[in-house]
This record gives sequence, C-alpha cells and structure tokens, in this order.
Amino acid sequence: MQLIIEAIGFGIATGAVIALGAVGFSVQFGISNILNITYGALMTLSAYIGLVLINHGINAWAALAISAVAVGAVSVIYHRILLAPLVRRGTRAIAMIIVTVSAGTILQYVIVAIAGPSSQSYGEQSGQTFHFLDLTLSFGQVTIIVLTAILMLALHLLLTRTTLGKAMRATSSNRTLARSCGIATSRISDIAWFISGCLCGAAGVALAITTVSFDFSLGALFLIPMIAAAVLGGIGQPYGAMLGGMIIGISSEVAAAVSNPNYKDVVAFVILIIVLLVRPRGLFGAAWSSRRLMEG
Amino acid sequence: MGSQRTWRVAALVGATALVAACGSSSPSSSSSVPTQSGNITAGVIAPFTGPAAQFGKLLSAPCFAATDLINKAGGILGKTISCSAIDDTGDPADAVPNVTRAIATTTNLDIAVGLESNTAATTVPLVNDAKIPIVTTNGLVAFTKNSYPYYWRLTPSDDANGAAFAVWAVQKGFKNVAVVFQNGIGSEGNLPGLTSAMPKLGGSLGLQLTIPADAASYSSEVARVINAHPDALIWSADPQTTATFMSEYKQLNNGSIPPMVTATDSLTPDFFGALKRVVGVTYVTQDVYLVGSSFSQTTAAFNTYKTALQNDSRTSAIADVLSAVGPPASAYDGINIMALAMVMAKSTVGSYYNQFVTKIISPKPGAVVVSNFADGVAALKAGKQIQYVGVIGPVVFNQYHNSAGEFAANIFNPDGSASRVGSISGTQVLGLL
Repeated sequence: MQLIIEAIGFGIATGAVIALGAVGFSVQFGISNILNITYGALMTLSAYIGLVLINHGINAWAALAISAVAVGAVSVIYHRILLAPLVRRGTRAIAMIIVTVSAGTILQYVIVAIAGPSSQSYGEQSGQTFHFLDLTLSFGQVTIIVLTAILMLALHLLLTRTTLGKAMRATSSNRTLARSCGIATSRISDIAWFISGCLCGAAGVALAITTVSFDFSLGALFLIPMIAAAVLGGIGQPYGAMLGGMIIGISSEVAAAVSNPNYKDVVAFVILIIVLLVRPRGLFGAAWSSRRLMEG
Repeated sequence: MGSQRTWRVAALVGATALVAACGSSSPSSSSSVPTQSGNITAGVIAPFTGPAAQFGKLLSAPCFAATDLINKAGGILGKTISCSAIDDTGDPADAVPNVTRAIATTTNLDIAVGLESNTAATTVPLVNDAKIPIVTTNGLVAFTKNSYPYYWRLTPSDDANGAAFAVWAVQKGFKNVAVVFQNGIGSEGNLPGLTSAMPKLGGSLGLQLTIPADAASYSSEVARVINAHPDALIWSADPQTTATFMSEYKQLNNGSIPPMVTATDSLTPDFFGALKRVVGVTYVTQDVYLVGSSFSQTTAAFNTYKTALQNDSRTSAIADVLSAVGPPASAYDGINIMALAMVMAKSTVGSYYNQFVTKIISPKPGAVVVSNFADGVAALKAGKQIQYVGVIGPVVFNQYHNSAGEFAANIFNPDGSASRVGSISGTQVLGLL
C-alpha cells in the first residue's frame, strides 16, 4: 500500500510534466486544427536552449522561463512561415501532419548536428526532499508540480476571465464567425501559438529536469504520451489535457510500482483506449464543447 | 516466333554468363582460389545514432587501429583495408534495411565487425548469408550454439558475464543484491548466469526489475529497490537511463546510493560523463564496478594496440579508456585474424578465406607465435606456420566458433579512464553456469 501511495505522488509529478506539454498541444490544435507533430522536436529544442543557458550560469528555473519564451517565438514564426500558408492553400489534414513530422525530423537532426548525439544533463540535482503524508517527492518534482499548477491556473484565468481568452475560444470554436464578429483571428492565432509554444518550451525544460539526462530524442519520446493525454481529455480541450496528463502519469507510475515496470506505458494506453471506447470524444470532449458554445 | 524465343534464351544465358564472369570474385586461372579486384572494406555494424551511438565509436576505434597497422605493413595481398560505418541504430527494425543495403552496395565488404547484442539476432543471419566472415562482439546466449559458418565470437556470452557479476559481488561482500536491467535482449542475457551463480555463491537476489529505457521518471521503480534494501545493484542500462534512475535514487534515498556492479560495456566516456554529472565523481570512481572479459595490459600486443589507438586522431581521445575494454580489443584481434587468414588463403574473398581462420589461431608444433599483423605476414611469407596471440591472449574457438576468456573488475578513474581492481577466474565462472 505504501508503494502505491508513493507511486501516486510520483505519478502526479510525471503527470504534471505530461499535462504541461499536453495542454500546449491541445491549445494549438484547438485554435488551428493542426496536429503539430513538430511539437516534440520543439520541446527538445527548448531543453537544449535551457542547457546552453544553464552552462552560462543561469539558474535552471530562469532558464526554463527564457527557453519557454524562445520556443513560443519560434512556434509563432514556424506557424506563420510554414503552416499558415499551407492551410491557406487548402492543404489536406493528412498532408499537414506529414509536413509537421518532416519539420520535426529536420529540427531533431539539426539539433544532433549542432549538439551531438551524446546525452546531456543540467547537472546534479538538489538532494532536498519533501515528505507529505506517505509521499516523498524531490525538490525538482515538487517545483514542477507547483509550476504546472500555476501555469494551468493562469491559462484557465486567461481563457475564462479575459477578452483575449474569449477571442481565443471564439476563434477555436468557429474561425469564420469569429472573424465576421470583428475578431482579428490571425493575431489571435499568433497569440495562441505563442502561448502554446511557451507551454511546449516549459515542458521541454521541465522534462529535462525530471529525466536529469537527455538527448536529441527527448521530445520525440514524450510526444506520444502527451498526445495520448490530449486525446484522452478530448483533443482541443485544455482542461481535458490536464486531466489526461494526470491519468497517464499516475496510472503508469502505479503500474510500475505493482507490476513489471516494462508495462507502465502499456497500462496508460490501455486506459486511453478504454476511455475512448466509452467516450469517443475523450473525457472533456462533448461537455466542454457545449459549455464553450454557451459561453461564446 | 520460335526462332526469336531461342535467340532470347540464348541472349539471356549469354548475359548471365557475362555477369558471372564480371562479378567481384572469380576463380583465378592458375588455381581454384577466388580473387577479387579493388581494396578491402571492413564494415563496422553498430549503432552510430540513437541512445547506443557510443557503441559505434567504441567499435570503430579498434577497426581504425587494426587497419592503420595493416596498411602500414603493406596491406593485405597488396590491397589496402578501410573501415566503413554501417549504422544499425541499435534497433533491429532499422538494422535489417540498413545492413541489407550496406551488403548490397559496399564494395568488397569482406569483414563485418561488431554486430552487438541489440541487433545481432537479425544482423548475423544477413551477413552470414552474404558469406562475409563476422567478428562479433555480441554476448547473446542464443549464439552459444549456432550453425553460422561465418560467425566468430571472441568475447564471452552474456550468461557468463552474469555469473562473473555474481562472483565479483560476493567477493566484495554484497550478499543481497537487487538486479535492475534495462529491457533489451543484450542486458537481460546476463540474468540466467546471475540467477544460476548467486545462490551457489551463498548470495541472494533480493529484487529483479527490468525497466524501460529513457522513461520520464523511474521514481516508482526506485522506491521498490529502496524497499528491498540491497547491498549493491547489479546494473545494466544505457547512460541516459542510468543517469535518470540513479539521480532519482539519490534524491529519494537521502543522498545515498548502493554500489553498482555492471558490465565493461559501460566503460565508456558517455556512461562515465552521464553518471558523474548527476551523482558526482566520488560515487562513480569508488562504487561503480565494471566487470567483463579481461586481458593483460603488459603484453607487446597490447602496447601495439594502445599505441595505434593513441596515434590515430580519430581515436586518440578515448585510447586510454578503450584499450582496457574487452569487446573493442577482441574486435581488433578479430580483424587481425581475418587479415592474416586472407594472407594465408591468398584470397580476400570471405567464402574462401573463412576456412583459414582457425589455422591462424590454433597452436601447432613449430608454429611462430605472432602478436600483430606485420609479424604474421612476415612469418607466412617465410613459409612458417603461425599462431596469432593478440591483445586478448590465446583464442580457442569451439565448434560453434565461440571463444571465452578470463574476467576482471575495473573502476573508473577521475579522468574517465579505467583501472583494474581484481580478476575473476574464467574457469570459476563457467563452473557456476
């Protein structure tokens, strides 16, 4: 029992990182309807930007913030230069996916060419641990949980309490209608890509802090759990992605605690499939859509 | 109509005959010894990208060293030999197309080196079918008995390595050990030897875990290991997985990590660097034991090998670490043995010179013992019999073309090089299996 309680704590920590990335992915998809597979490589890029900053003496958490903003900017440029023109030309969804896969592969190999294939690390972590009830979490894990909670709350407030958030939701819901209502959808799209890029960047550095050691495949390895979390919650639904991330994180850690750790990811994906069989639009799919329409 | 068909058949037969005659190998006019035009390529089949990319570097280095010395000695039958990297990525799914393409497109691919454990099960049959003699560093138990005539292994199998881990752990007083292996055919091959040997030595395996590679977190797995209170960890995982696991172990166990016994496969700059960065140099240099096949570092053959590594700009940076590791040394010896077999056979064609391999290493009355290619060629030219005894010492192939040797335990030095801290009898190890 003790192991299971501990595993739930570890699962929240892992789930926080997955949720961070999944929410950004989901926001991106919600606003532009593009399944951006380059997201994984952008997370890797962020981890390496963080490495350069840390190697120059910058604190890891400051490096996380700077890398997040940098990847946010890169995401906007990437969307503006490559994806938006393809969408305007009527490129089909499957072709867009292939384009993002290709761009991600190119970016990954550019990173290898510059940084090399060897594993990297931000260095030895603080040995400080926190004990709460029967949970033991490291300083890094607690910080990432808190950071994720703050970012998720900020995103929630942005989406529900600000004009910008309403405009984002309106654009996400019906782009043409939003434009005819006077919303500058192109600018809103840029802002959404910047925010989601920032979340992607934050997730990249958070992941590098969590794994301690990483290489150029970092983002690609964790893209699948993140997409799974987004789909589990209902693709395009930020709250769903948060919940999906937590479910995948906790289920995989509990599985590792009570069974063969090799099956930790399998358990998470079995849950994903079962949920989708019961609720094809994901946990938040239908409910959120209705609420969003009402609020819009 | 019938006449046209006859002509087509005749043309096809003629063309086939012409292609056969122009092929890369053909019987010479004076004997049945097949010959080949052009220089020789030794293909290093190993991961050059991906998490195990370090293996590519480690296995290319002995190839560079051996081929440098062979070429300086005049080459093989007047031909130069070079190394070609064939990236198997460490993943069988990539290895099959990559190796198949390399076999089809590489000119005079006459020796295959490497074929490590992650991919050997798929690459060995491909290379064997192409009749290319193989110097493999894989440790798979599945090859302990095999029927591949072109397969030659100069390193011990993984189960023997597993038993050697047990011997060293008990020798150090670690009676209760936890086994943590990354999933993968290579590391899990150690398990049968370990589980067989540990009880016979009076020790016990408290916990056995296989973990997936490169996970976001191993906290739950670490908690399970901590609960087992092991004296030491018997460990096998790639550098990245090791760093993540050990960092979490240290954090969740109040800064303390038990000693680790792992394979000399981990005696790499990448492993040393990754672990040092996350748990500190003291642990890495004092509590990490690297057990694997052993050889003397005071022989003439070793000095020649190490000097060759130091003199080549591609390998000089890792010469000190590399020269102490068994698999690369066996690859170096393997290339020399194949090169001498070519000289003895007077042919560089794999399907022909392969039968001469055992003649190069077997002890014979009156044979000249040689420790490098140049001396071997000189003796052969003088009409003498030879026995090659290289860096890893005498090689004795059994009927399955496997040769094991002695074992040793090493530790890392602060600069990442290695020092031997003890030896383990090969006879004792084999007796525990």
